[in-house]
Amino acid sequence: MTEAKRTARVVNHINEVDNTEPEVPFLEIEAVRAKEFIPVAKETLMGLISRGTDDVTLPFFNWAQRNSPYPLHIGLACCAIEFASAFGARWDGERFGILPRSSPRQADVLIVNGTVTWKLSHKIITLWEQMLEPKWAIAMGNCATGGGPFRTAYSVVPGVDKLVPVDVYIAGCPPRPEAMLDGVLRLERLIRERRG
Amino acid sequence: MTDTRSIWDQLLVKVQEKFKSDIISTSSRPGVLAILKVRPESIVKLCTFLRDTCTFKHCAMVAGVDWKDRVEVLYHLWSDAFKGYLELTLDLPAEDPHVASVARVWPGASWHEREAWDLLGIRFDGHPDLRRVLMPEGYRFHPLKKSFELREPEELEVKSRHV
Repeated sequence: MTEAKRTARVVNHINEVDNTEPEVPFLEIEAVRAKEFIPVAKETLMGLISRGTDDVTLPFFNWAQRNSPYPLHIGLACCAIEFASAFGARWDGERFGILPRSSPRQADVLIVNGTVTWKLSHKIITLWEQMLEPKWAIAMGNCATGGGPFRTAYSVVPGVDKLVPVDVYIAGCPPRPEAMLDGVLRLERLIRERRG
Repeated sequence: MTDTRSIWDQLLVKVQEKFKSDIISTSSRPGVLAILKVRPESIVKLCTFLRDTCTFKHCAMVAGVDWKDRVEVLYHLWSDAFKGYLELTLDLPAEDPHVASVARVWPGASWHEREAWDLLGIRFDGHPDLRRVLMPEGYRFHPLKKSFELREPEELEVKSRHV
């Protein structure tokens, strides 16, 4: 093998090696990666910060929400009497932090007690939309749950869950005040587990 | 008391003579002054006359009765002078019942006629605002008709006015 041929082979080899090497120099790749890293790092940091604050605030808000479910009271039938007596001297719903409000802006829980008619339905939806987040709904009594004895009547909504998303259903015709308080306490459990 | 009764008897005879072709039959029962069965096309003319000249200033009730083969419309008119109700009835066909509205004669009859339209499907021609009263707008049935059957509830499309 002559010297020239050997040199040519080495050159070829070098060329081949050169071809396989990346065209962009290593330092530039580092620069590009660094540029990409900055937004990713920012995103990660921000996520960390927000998750960190949520870890502090969410349990506090959850504690506050579950201990003061202020109901908006839609009294349509005999369930409203039971609801009213649940806040009298005998059952005293306020010891659980349940305080009925008259305005949807101040309420957390929509308690529908009574027979809902189709004529009334869009008023209930309006009240539900006027309530501030986070909000929950309780259907109290058989009528609000599924229409009750008037289910096949021409004017009755078969359950208020056709209109608003209901979290807790309370059975009874009408349910006793203990049952209503138990329903609100079950809602408290739902809020504690963040399932409501 | 006897005076107003005798005056009413004379007045009834005069009304029967004046609206001889419009009143089909006259009967009576305790509690009302008289029951006049009238032709549907003459109800506004008769009601205007009763209001203006016979002291029936107050239309206490307009209601419908579904007898399956026919639809009956009842009017109860109150007179302060005679201290009693006059009952007018008229018969309409069962399919697509039409009668002229008396809401122009007594404005208080407006909601009674709306209710009769809502629940029994009696259409009152010339009514200023014949909308449903008890059922929501968009409801397809007249639920107090005998042909209406109880059914599993079908969901109406209910929307908030804010959406």
